[in-house]
Amino acid sequence: MKNINKSYGDLKVLDNISIDFPENKITCILGPSGCGKTTLLNIMAGLLDMDSGEIIGFENGDISFVFQEDRLIPWKNVEENLAFVLRDKVNKKEIAEIVDNYLKLVGLEEYKYYYPKDLSGGMKQRINILRAFIYPSKILIMDEPFKSLDMDNKQILMDLVKVGNRTCIMVTHDMEEALTLGDRIVILTGKPARVKEIVEG
Amino acid sequence: MKKSSIKSSKLSIAAKTIIIIIWIILSKAIDNEVIFPGIRSTIMEMFKIMKSTGFILIIKSTIFRSLIGFLISLILAILMGILASISDFIYYLMKPILNFLSSVPTMAIIILALIWLNNEIVPMFVGFIMVFPILYETVLNGILNIDKNIIEMAKVYKVNKTTIIKDIYIPSIFYNLSTVFTSALGTNLKMVIAGEVLSQPRYAVGSNLQLQKTYLNTAGVFAWIIIILLISKIFKYLMKKLDDVLKLNEWKC
Repeated sequence: MKNINKSYGDLKVLDNISIDFPENKITCILGPSGCGKTTLLNIMAGLLDMDSGEIIGFENGDISFVFQEDRLIPWKNVEENLAFVLRDKVNKKEIAEIVDNYLKLVGLEEYKYYYPKDLSGGMKQRINILRAFIYPSKILIMDEPFKSLDMDNKQILMDLVKVGNRTCIMVTHDMEEALTLGDRIVILTGKPARVKEIVEG
Repeated sequence: MKKSSIKSSKLSIAAKTIIIIIWIILSKAIDNEVIFPGIRSTIMEMFKIMKSTGFILIIKSTIFRSLIGFLISLILAILMGILASISDFIYYLMKPILNFLSSVPTMAIIILALIWLNNEIVPMFVGFIMVFPILYETVLNGILNIDKNIIEMAKVYKVNKTTIIKDIYIPSIFYNLSTVFTSALGTNLKMVIAGEVLSQPRYAVGSNLQLQKTYLNTAGVFAWIIIILLISKIFKYLMKKLDDVLKLNEWKC
């Protein structure tokens, strides 16, 4: 992405941000909270328009997105929530298999038929992350994905991110997470966000 | 859980007993069957009504009118609710109509209905003017209050528009409606009977209520009221069973 600018009214949020995201590597974006990291991710995913700048390579690719909030559909159980994003891509039998495999991977297979209201915050977040992994995409965008997880679950999911074969962009404000996962770490300044430093992992 | 349900059923029986005792005391104190009939005469009147020829036809006609009227309100509410959520024009067109229905006294609209419409239609129309606004608002809110974050999530994952409508919009309308369904059905029945009292169709609970009043047979009026209560209790029971079978609200807190 090149020279991205974004303002909300008079408030400048992103100031001339240029970042290269190496293919199939993990790029972590670090920055103080409220500095515009989520805005940046939303622009990448096409959810928000930028004022000026250029994004290359994101146009036609499918994107997986781990939102800060779980964004699960309350009247669908875990299995149906995961299947929802695959419905138009994969046939029914395969969906069931994929969902089962992934649920086993994170130890949530017994919660397959639970509704979101019966899950803890951490469990819902794991399903949110799983939904992104299950979705066949080249790009994985994650907005502070491990925030509400305990150490064990965080480790399991971080390992999954590491072995995944996708271009991964992760926003975090946890330095340790960035150091463990990042092939490249981009440090942003506070308001408005500018690239302060890019560190190769 | 079990304990509390036993407790609440005990309380419910106690409450009903108290109401019956008050009824007995009042009827004894007033001691005038025309003003306040006692339990005995009401029950006897009830059996008389139930045994009379045409009773089933009367009940069937009122329930039929009520259900057809409700169905028309429901279908129109869903249709107009969806259209209003898509088109600003329809939204602003419906606004004054709803304001009119909610601020003009119902009786005034009923009088117009009595002039314009056939006496079989009036009861359904009376039900409609009460229930349609409730159902319409529910459908509209069901669509407008959908969590935008979830729609955004579906867009990021390039979920088909048809799937979004089928899996998010329709369930949201449906679940919203299910919260007011039973009470709207009950209100509709009450209003249809009120309409029948005024328009006097040939076979109708409302027409018979009016008839008993004309004869100053208050016990008969009481008896019909109890019959109406039983009908709405059966409606409620059936709705609850339907909800249990379809497990509509399992996902809710």
